[in-house]
Amino acid sequence: MPNAMASRAGSVPPGAGDVADTPGFFDPHQRETIAAAMARIIPTDATPGAREAATIDFLDRYLSGTGFIYAKPDGSGFETLTGRAERAWRERIETMRGKYVAGVRELDSRAQHRFGGDFAVLSPDRQDAVLTAIEHREHWPDSALSPAYALGGPAASGPALQQTSTEVELDFLPLLVAHTRQGFYADPIYGGNRGRVGWDVIGFPGPASLEEVHSGRYSTLEWFAEGHTDPSHENRKPHHGA
Amino acid sequence: MARSGKPDRTDVCIIGAGASGATAAKALCEAGVRVVALERGPWRRRESFGGDELANINRYNLWPDPILNPRTTRADAAERARQELFCPVPQMVGGGTVHWQGWLPRFTPNDFRLRTVAGALEGTTLADWPIGYDDLEPYYDRVEWAFGVSGLAGANRFEGPRRRGYPCPPMPMSRYAANFHKGCAALGWNSFPTPQAALSRPFGGRPATVVSAFAQQHGDPTGTRSSALNVFVPDAVATGRYDLRPDCYVRELTLDRTGYVKSAIYEEADGTIVEQEADVFLLACGAVETARLLLLSNSGRFPKGLANGSDLVGRNVTFHEYSAAVGLFDEPVYAWAGGGYVSASSFQFYEHDASRGFVGGGHVAAAGVGIPLPINWRLPGSPAWGAEAKRIDREAFNHSMAVAMVLHDMPQHDNRVDLDDEVIDAWGLPVARVTLKPHANDLAQGRFLIDRSGEILEAAGANSVTRVYAERVTGNCSHQHGTARMGDDPATSVLNRWCQAHEVGNLFAVDGASFPTATGANPTLTIMANAWRVADHIVERRGRFAQAGSQATGVSA
Repeated sequence: MPNAMASRAGSVPPGAGDVADTPGFFDPHQRETIAAAMARIIPTDATPGAREAATIDFLDRYLSGTGFIYAKPDGSGFETLTGRAERAWRERIETMRGKYVAGVRELDSRAQHRFGGDFAVLSPDRQDAVLTAIEHREHWPDSALSPAYALGGPAASGPALQQTSTEVELDFLPLLVAHTRQGFYADPIYGGNRGRVGWDVIGFPGPASLEEVHSGRYSTLEWFAEGHTDPSHENRKPHHGA
Repeated sequence: MARSGKPDRTDVCIIGAGASGATAAKALCEAGVRVVALERGPWRRRESFGGDELANINRYNLWPDPILNPRTTRADAAERARQELFCPVPQMVGGGTVHWQGWLPRFTPNDFRLRTVAGALEGTTLADWPIGYDDLEPYYDRVEWAFGVSGLAGANRFEGPRRRGYPCPPMPMSRYAANFHKGCAALGWNSFPTPQAALSRPFGGRPATVVSAFAQQHGDPTGTRSSALNVFVPDAVATGRYDLRPDCYVRELTLDRTGYVKSAIYEEADGTIVEQEADVFLLACGAVETARLLLLSNSGRFPKGLANGSDLVGRNVTFHEYSAAVGLFDEPVYAWAGGGYVSASSFQFYEHDASRGFVGGGHVAAAGVGIPLPINWRLPGSPAWGAEAKRIDREAFNHSMAVAMVLHDMPQHDNRVDLDDEVIDAWGLPVARVTLKPHANDLAQGRFLIDRSGEILEAAGANSVTRVYAERVTGNCSHQHGTARMGDDPATSVLNRWCQAHEVGNLFAVDGASFPTATGANPTLTIMANAWRVADHIVERRGRFAQAGSQATGVSA
C-alpha cells in the first residue's frame, strides 16, 4: 500500500532548503499566470505584496506532492507523511491541482475573449477586471476557510463558521485567495513570506524561526498592557462558604 | 506492532484520553484502580508541537482530517446530509485540551436548574440537571488546583460559592482585556479576568506558562500550559496503573449474556483487531463520538444501539455557537499577543432574565482576531482581495479585537447525532450525522449577546464596530453536549445522576454527553469536574460493578 501511494515528492529530499531548488507543479506558463493573479490579490504598493513575498513559490511547492505539507516543528525540515494521512493529502493535492489547471485556462480564456491576450500580459486593471468577473460568478461558500475565531476569512459573505479549513472545497478564485494569504503570512519555511515581508506589512513581530517558538524562547509578553494589574474594580473579595 | 494474544482483563476501560477520559483516569488510578485507556489518536509529545499556523489551523496537523474522519450535517430529516467537518475536536491523547487556550469559568448554580428558573420553552426539551452546583463544587476546586488555574476569586459577581480562591493570580493583562474591562466599567457591568488553564507563576513544580502568540489552536511545545495532556495524563501514568494505548480505535462494545458490557473491540494502527475486557467501561469520546459508538454497538438486546432503549442516544445535542462583534481602535491592541485569548470576561448577561424575552444567556469575553495571523481572518465586511483588502489587513491587524459570545443553545428532541447511511470513515464505519436546526430562542439570545458585545467595544472607545450575528448553529465552538443526557427518569434520560447508563449497569459516559443543557459557558472545566465526580463514585462502589448481571450494581438515584 505505501508503495502504491508513494509520494511524487518522495524523490525530493525533504528539507527547509532553497525553494528555487524544489521541483514545483506548474509549467512556466501556469506559474507566470498564477503569479500575476496573486500580484493582484495582494498587490505591491508602498509596501511589499505577493510578488515580493514569493507566494508563487509557496504554492508551487505545496502542489508538488506531499513532501511539504508539515514543516517539522523545530524548523529543521519537513515531515514525511505515511499511511492514511499521506493518502488523504495526495487526494487533496490532486483535487487542487485540477482546480489550478482549469483556473489558468479560465483566466486565459476570459482574458483572450475580452482583451485579446493571455492573462499574464494584461495590464493590472484588466487583470482585475478578469478576476472580478470570475468572482461574481463563483460561489464563495460560507463554510470554507472562515474560522470562527477569526471572523471574516477569505470568503466574501456570511458569518464565520468552522474553525479549521476546508479549502479543498473552494472554487478556483477563493482557493487562490486563500493560498495567496497563506503564502504571504505563513512561516517563511513554507517558501512564501520571503524575508518576512508579510509580517512586516502588518506589523507582526513574529519569531525568528519555528525553532524560537519550539524552544520556548519566543514570548509576546512585552505586547501586553502596562500598568493594568487591577482587572476588576468591584467585588474583589473572594467568596467564602461552600 | 501486533499484540500477542488477548490482553488481560482490567478494572476499568476508558474509551478516550481527552479532557474527560484523562481526568477519570487520574482519579481512578490514584485510587488504586487499574485502567486501560483506548485512544483512537496518537500520543503526541510536546516536541511535536510548534508555532505553525498553516499546519495547525489549515492543514489538520491537530484538527481531524475531513477526508479520514468526515461528518455529515443537515437541517432536518427531510434533507440529504452534506459532508462537513461539524464540531471537530482534535483526536489524540489530550483531545481538545492539546490546542486550547483553556478558559475555565465555572457554571453557575442556576445552570443546573434552568427549567425550574425559566419554565418550559416550547419546542425545547429544557431540563434541570439531576445534580446541582454543590455536587460539583468540590470537583471544580480539585481541577482548578490540579491545573493551577489562574484567576481571581470573587471577581465574577455571578459565580456560586467557592471554598477557596484560585491557585494562581490572573494571567498578565492584555491590552484587549484592558479594553474589555474599560468598556464594561463604563457601562456599569461586572467583568473579571477569564480563569485560564495556564500558570501565571510557577506552581506545583511546574514553571510559569510561556506567553506566546501561538497558543489558541496550537499545541504547546513548551509543555507549560495546563491541559489533560500536560497534567492529568502524566499524573495517571505516574501511578503505574494507567495502560494508555494510543492509535487504538474502538469499533464497538460487546455485551455479555446478562446485558453488561463485556468488551471493547478495537483496531490497532496496523489493522489488528483486539478485544479488551473490563469490569467497567467509561465512554469519554466527546458527546458526538460517544453517541456514535453507542449507536454502532447494536445487538439483539439493543437493536437501536447500546443503552438506547429510550431512543434518546444522540438526541438533545447542543453545540454552543461562537460569534463576535469586532472593533477597531486608534491605539494598538495587539490582540494576537498571548494567543488572542489572555482575556477578560463578563457574566453580566449570563443568567436568565425573563424581561429580555428569551431563555438563558451566555458568557461574553474579549478575544483576539487572527490565530495569530490574518491568514484565516479579515475584518468582517471587507473585500477578499485587492488593494483595499491589503490596506485593511495592514491597518486592522494591530488595532482590532473581538468581543465574543458563547451562545447557550437550547436542547431539542429532533436535534440529534445518528449514523449516516451513506458516508463511512477511513476505517469503514458509518460517520456521525448531525441533524440540527437552531431554535428561535438561540437566534434571539445570540443577537442580544452580540449587541451587548458591540456596546462593550463602543464604550471602550472603538472607532468602528461590526456586529456578526449567528444565523445558525454550525458547531464552530467545538463544544458538544447532551447526546446521552443524565436524569432521574429513564424515560427522559440515558444516564442516571452518576452518568451510568440506566439500561447497562457497568457503562458510564463521562464527557459532555451527559449534560442536559449546554449552559452559556465553556464546558471543559465542568466536564473534567464531573468526570472526577463519577470516578470517585466508581471508586466508592468498586467491586459492585465487577459482578456482571448483579442487581447490586444499580446505583439508585
